[in-house]
Amino acid sequence: MTQQSRLRRMGWIAVLALCTMCYLGLHLKVHAVRSEVVRSERQIVALEAQKSLLETEFETRASQEQLASWNRVEFGYAAPTAAQFVSGERQLAKFGTPRAAGAPEPIRVASLATGEDAPAYPKFVSPLTGKAVDDKLLEPEVRRVNLDAHYERGALRIPLAAAIGDVRE
Amino acid sequence: MNAMTFDVEFAPSRIRLVDIRHRQLLTAQLRMLLLAAAFALVAFISLIRIAWLGVVQPAPTEHSMAQALLPPRGEITDRNGVPLARAFPAYALWYNPQALVDGGPPLVNPPVVVAQRLKDIFPDLDLSATTRFLAAGKPGYIRRRVLPDEVNRINAIGELALETPGETDRQYPQGKLAAHVLGYVASDGHGRVGMESFLDKRLLDPSARGQAVPLSIDVRVQGALEDELASGMRAVEAVGAAGIVLDVDTGEVLALASLPSFDPNKIDAEGQRRMFNRVTNEVYELGSTFKPLTVAAAIDAGVVTDLSHRYPAAPLHIGGFTIHDDENLGSTLNVPETLIHSSNIVSAQIADQLGGDRLARALADLGMSERPYIELPARGFPIWHKPPWPRLRTMTVGFGHGVAVTPLHLAAAYAALVNGGIWRPATLLKVKPGEEARGRRVFKASTSARMNQLLRMITVYGTGRKANAPGFRVGGKTGSAEKAGAGGYQKHAVVATFASAFPMDHPRYVVVAMLDEPKAVAASSFQRTAAWNAVPIVGRLIPRIGPMLGVLPDDTRDIDLSDLKPLVGDGGGNE
Repeated sequence: MTQQSRLRRMGWIAVLALCTMCYLGLHLKVHAVRSEVVRSERQIVALEAQKSLLETEFETRASQEQLASWNRVEFGYAAPTAAQFVSGERQLAKFGTPRAAGAPEPIRVASLATGEDAPAYPKFVSPLTGKAVDDKLLEPEVRRVNLDAHYERGALRIPLAAAIGDVRE
Repeated sequence: MNAMTFDVEFAPSRIRLVDIRHRQLLTAQLRMLLLAAAFALVAFISLIRIAWLGVVQPAPTEHSMAQALLPPRGEITDRNGVPLARAFPAYALWYNPQALVDGGPPLVNPPVVVAQRLKDIFPDLDLSATTRFLAAGKPGYIRRRVLPDEVNRINAIGELALETPGETDRQYPQGKLAAHVLGYVASDGHGRVGMESFLDKRLLDPSARGQAVPLSIDVRVQGALEDELASGMRAVEAVGAAGIVLDVDTGEVLALASLPSFDPNKIDAEGQRRMFNRVTNEVYELGSTFKPLTVAAAIDAGVVTDLSHRYPAAPLHIGGFTIHDDENLGSTLNVPETLIHSSNIVSAQIADQLGGDRLARALADLGMSERPYIELPARGFPIWHKPPWPRLRTMTVGFGHGVAVTPLHLAAAYAALVNGGIWRPATLLKVKPGEEARGRRVFKASTSARMNQLLRMITVYGTGRKANAPGFRVGGKTGSAEKAGAGGYQKHAVVATFASAFPMDHPRYVVVAMLDEPKAVAASSFQRTAAWNAVPIVGRLIPRIGPMLGVLPDDTRDIDLSDLKPLVGDGGGNE
């Protein structure tokens, strides 16, 4: 075996070892991410169970029967009468008439306008990375449905969904 | 020649050498064979093991998130998505004496101490019975329903024998509300009585149970109906009550109540007794509420063309039987007066003029000759006699005796009466807009319009006045029928019904309220008839449910009664 061929062989072995190392690293990384995903999924399942538990408790405590009995004992609300409803545009417009002279000042409620000092609406944060998620990912996927009608032997058949065109899921 | 000559002394050693060589060869071959056999055995065992794993043993269960989030039984919601029945991740408390595998006593602490600690968590636990149960050392449930917080406290006791397995439970957040509509889930995991039974396959189907099933029920309307029915029933000490709110254009049931009710969260012997559904399963002779149907059939057939025509109101003697009114209503009555004062005599005459065949045809078209159309499994068969009817039966059916139907039949018939004349089957499943049943035409639209006027007149001038909620344009007809018992009709056991619709200028909903055996008490001014017990229930109910259903009270609108007003004078009158 010549010196050259020995060098070449060692080179090949080094390349092979490097590739194996890279593969091993990638493999471990994939498994690490996968186990992270599984853990997050388990967390989601546990949270969903907790949520349904709380929802059920809330629904039970705020059941119609309970609300009716509270109303009987504490609040005494009655069904609204005809006079409490706005009957038409004319009556609605009456609320917009300017204040007469000497009328009391209307009570102003504190509010936050959407100006430059208003904080931005909080972004959806990924439970995996802890970073804000791209808005495009949150949008529902638009699925194109084939609008062609296929002629098959027998009656002309149009797929049901075709009539809708774009179907958002 | 050389070969033939060999040394005599050399020969034995040479033969021995060949022999040894031969034997060693054999040994080596034998070892090879043994080794091959061992390998073959190992391969064979491996194959068998693979086959065992592949065929006999169950595949390893892998739970994806989607599977874990899929409820074991689908959710049932009302028409607005409020959950009425849902799978509930609950726990149970199970006693496993084998948990400590050391062969010693099952509990670390004495049973009395453990029972006392359990009682601290569950105050209603029977201490002595639990102590005996723990000491007996047999596995079994201590409690079937344990909350997550209680599970943590049980684990804090530190007894391995107290296990808390997760169990799927069915929870009805609204409690008794709509119990007859929903039914319950028995311990075998299948639904009983109501929609739980009807939808059983759909709710258990893995491909469909992720999606909730919306019912036509509106939980707010249901709550108001049950509330008003229950207070009305208590006030007059009735043995039972039934109520239904029906959409006249789609046949959707918005509320259906049968009282006394049961709690699907806790089924006991009393709950079992109360599962009987008065709205769909029990048939009653509903009395005077049939009179508008008779009059409508007569107008439709052209028998009654002039509403001002006056009929004699003297008691009728037919075949040894006398038809009379509760009180003397005068010598003659016209059609609006007949309905306002609820005259049996004139209704019988109109039915007689119409004829048994045509009356039976109209009632059969309204679905009264068969079980009511609804998804619930319990549907009562009406007491229905096949035509031709004798003259007397035609006349008694004309005022609601001789045919017994369920309150649901009546509600569906009134829906057809007021919606323009089209009868539709009732349904408890939410109907998408434009997908309602086509139904069948029973009355002409003109007949229906005329009946809307007449029904409105009954609540303005007649027996339904206590239901005339201001602004809601209610119309309806009362009925108080004596119950048939052993030896004829019972004077003091009546079924009081009020069948109504609102708003009469464009009817949207039918409301039927029925009280079974109301008593004559101070709350009903010592009266038993529907005008004093069932009518006020509807009068209080409609203002509560109207705005929720999109019917706003309006004092400036009403159905035009001006052409009929001169026919009734000042109105007034009794049942």
